[in-house]
Amino acid sequence: MVMSLNILRCGARISGRSINLLQNCGRYLPKLSENAFRLVSTSACRSTNVRRFTDKHEWISIDGNVGTVGISHYAQDSLGDVVYAQLPDVGTVVEQKGECGALESVKAASELYCPVSGKVVEKNASVEQTPGLINNSCYEKGWLFKVELTRPEELTGLMSEEEYEKFLKSDDH
Amino acid sequence: MAQAMAQNMFRISQVSLNNVVRCNAYAFAPATSQAKAYSSASTTDKEKSKNPIQKSVFISQSTDIFTNLALEDWMYRNFNFNNHHVLLMWRNSPCVVIGRHQNPWVETNTTNVAHQGMEIARRNSGGGTVYHDRGNLNLTFFTKREEYNRRNNLEIVSRALFREWGIESVITPREDIVVKNTYKQISGTAAKLGRPNAYHHCTLLVDVNKVALRQSLHKDDKGIVTNATQSVASPIMNLCEINQHVKVERMLGAVGWEYLRTCPETLEDGGQDLINKQRGFQLINPTDNWFPGLNKLKEELSSWDWRFGKTPKFQVNKSFRVPKEFLGEGEMGVQELKVSLEVNKGIIDDVTLKLPPGLLSTNGFHGEVDVVTSLRGQPFSERAVVSLENALHDMSTKEGNLQGKSQFVMNCMRQVMQSV
Repeated sequence: MVMSLNILRCGARISGRSINLLQNCGRYLPKLSENAFRLVSTSACRSTNVRRFTDKHEWISIDGNVGTVGISHYAQDSLGDVVYAQLPDVGTVVEQKGECGALESVKAASELYCPVSGKVVEKNASVEQTPGLINNSCYEKGWLFKVELTRPEELTGLMSEEEYEKFLKSDDH
Repeated sequence: MAQAMAQNMFRISQVSLNNVVRCNAYAFAPATSQAKAYSSASTTDKEKSKNPIQKSVFISQSTDIFTNLALEDWMYRNFNFNNHHVLLMWRNSPCVVIGRHQNPWVETNTTNVAHQGMEIARRNSGGGTVYHDRGNLNLTFFTKREEYNRRNNLEIVSRALFREWGIESVITPREDIVVKNTYKQISGTAAKLGRPNAYHHCTLLVDVNKVALRQSLHKDDKGIVTNATQSVASPIMNLCEINQHVKVERMLGAVGWEYLRTCPETLEDGGQDLINKQRGFQLINPTDNWFPGLNKLKEELSSWDWRFGKTPKFQVNKSFRVPKEFLGEGEMGVQELKVSLEVNKGIIDDVTLKLPPGLLSTNGFHGEVDVVTSLRGQPFSERAVVSLENALHDMSTKEGNLQGKSQFVMNCMRQVMQSV
């Protein structure tokens, strides 16, 4: 259903009669509820630029006022196998760029720095139990902790995924 | 070469207090602006050629593990390593040092170690448990995060051993130093990476008391279930066993000079020319005067909360066979008392006693509740056993015929606590 809607949208643009065509198609396609239509458009927005990155190779993704924090693929790769994750306790007040935990790999104990200021509201117990999740799934199951933001404006200072990729390619990382 | 080195060592030992004071005042002003600048941008090539990296060797005058760990931490947090790398060399009185995320009760017998008058310390870097005494030389290589290179540091140590005594050594894939053809370890390594600074430290077994080492690192199966990092036991040997002329005092010079003569980026041997461009050796007196904030770091590192309380949560499970005389009449077979303790942040969170049916007399054994409440909230230590003893003693005086049984339960609890 979604596919056909997209095709129609493309077709409409080509023909130059976008909105009218979509509205008219309601007669021929199974009736699309308003919600379904909204779902299509909002998910299109959500799929791009979800994560913001720091120059210390952490990422944060926002949902309302709560950010989920993890480390990037580059970071988990350079750490090596993580054998222990020391995450901040729930209720800890954190400062942007402040030390908030550590990840121990076979190579070293590396400090974790918080990308934003706020209060920790959840930590990933699965990662504490199975630190290898950070290596296998650093953006999904290997999330580290969630923080309630006190200064959302700090997010504007962080890099987008594109900017972060560029940063990795430069000499300065 | 050896003579020149001996002369240099003599000069080092004669450094006057004035010189040390002057050097200290220059070197140890905390670089607060540096500490706050989290930029990960490395220096450009142009800057590097303008300001080549210079090296210093610092030798700590303290043999207290907590002072030395505090000094190491102070330097990691406050020192400015822009174009300046430092090798810190330090030795300690006998002690056991566990890694940051380890469980001291798993890694060593805490009661025995305490009885021998040794401290247990927890360091900030990862890795396993080690034994220190004055026959062991600790080396900490400080650099900026971008310039951290563990293998290079170990290469320098390996070269020093060869240049001074002709000892051939190999750096394993795990990045430990082993003696060639024996594959026995003479060094253990750990590291801490932060921003802007990082350090790699390692031990060097020159003339360590191997009996004491084996005794303090002896591990039994203590029924502890935990996700704390575990040590990897390796066969070790002292360098003095390979060559009787290897002594810690000479090692200071051997490694120090090799460090100064080696180019930090390329590992090339720059010889005396490069040495002359470095900042040389300094004797360090780690006091709060020269290192503001050092005492606070030392207090934190020697606190129970850091050394034991920082232990990741764990469970202790033990079973004890109940002697026949405590079982009720008509009870047959082997019955077991199962003890399970949950310890979080070094404090006993929960106690579960599984009493076999035979241990319940016709009057009932009500000690379970008292045992549990007396232990909950206690630090996991001998103190907890004492409070347990008191609880069971009170109980047994009330109900005389339970004395034998409560004694048995208490002995089991004591065994659980003391075996770790």
